[in-house]
Amino acid sequence: MSCFEGQLAPWVAPAPVAKPLDKTQTIAALVAEYSTALYRVAFSVTRNAAEAEDAVQETFLRVLRHESRLGEIRDYRVWLVRIVWNIVLDKKRRAKTRPEGEDLADHAHALPAGDRAADDTFISSQEHARILALVDRLPAREREALLLSAVEEMTTAEIAAALGTTESSIRSRIFRARRELAVLLEKEGISR
Amino acid sequence: MNAENGNSAMDRGQSALDAALRSVGSATPAAGLEGRILTRLASERIRMESEPARRLLFARLGVFPARALGLVTACLLGFVVVAGSVSYSRHIRPSTTGTPPSLVLPGQGVGAASAVHPAAPASTPAPPGQAGRSARRSAPGRARIAPHSRKAPGVAVPPPLNRPSSDSQN
Repeated sequence: MSCFEGQLAPWVAPAPVAKPLDKTQTIAALVAEYSTALYRVAFSVTRNAAEAEDAVQETFLRVLRHESRLGEIRDYRVWLVRIVWNIVLDKKRRAKTRPEGEDLADHAHALPAGDRAADDTFISSQEHARILALVDRLPAREREALLLSAVEEMTTAEIAAALGTTESSIRSRIFRARRELAVLLEKEGISR
Repeated sequence: MNAENGNSAMDRGQSALDAALRSVGSATPAAGLEGRILTRLASERIRMESEPARRLLFARLGVFPARALGLVTACLLGFVVVAGSVSYSRHIRPSTTGTPPSLVLPGQGVGAASAVHPAAPASTPAPPGQAGRSARRSAPGRARIAPHSRKAPGVAVPPPLNRPSSDSQN
């Protein structure tokens, strides 16, 4: 090799092309990005930290089993929310052993950390448990829309896509749910 | 005044509801969730990668013997059925140990109809003083049915006639 060729080589050599992520890296990226949101979706139904975490793990196991289809997915968030949603509803349907809202420690854990006293936190978590028990008395469609709307990361469009309906339908379901809950809260005396 | 109270109560209810929903919707998972998920995914991936090899092994070793075993079983079953059938047929066949009656064939013709039997057929005479077995012995007169006898349903029995009997006439 001549001196000239030696100097030219770095310029002629093909530029390093950004290598596409392989399936493992893709799934790892999905875990990093969506695991918390999926946990919240699962927790909104199970109200139990361990069960919610199980559901999230089960979601990613399903993703792993169907990793060959990852390239076909347009919206990962909606796809994953739909998977975790089906998993938690299925679990809830099968195992009705543990009533929702039973684990007050989970509710206390769910509360954002603040400088309130422990008593306040506990009373507040009790009240939340009562309110969420009322939420459970709503019809399934309204309840699902309301719970998903409570998850911070979910937009109305994403909720609609996850539940397989339109945005306007989601909005009207949430409106109906809130209206019915207002009546229930009034009856229970929680609003006073 | 009441309307204002109602509205404020409703607002309080809605804010309580919002707070409860927020508590659910902003739940934070225990620390290290991602790590636990990735660990489980890694172990699952190892299991999945070892599974196809095991499946292939079964495909090589398992499927062929299963087919061969099925074929051998079918052959054995067929043999047992046929052998049993033959054995049963031999069992119910009339015995061939006894000698058949000898037929003396005439000079011409071949066949059982024209055969000459060793003992010529002869009629058996009826015993003297007895009627043949086929002769029906029945007493003369009318059949009688006892009035209190048990009869089949639907059978009507006429009432007894009040005629003087032949004995009394005589």
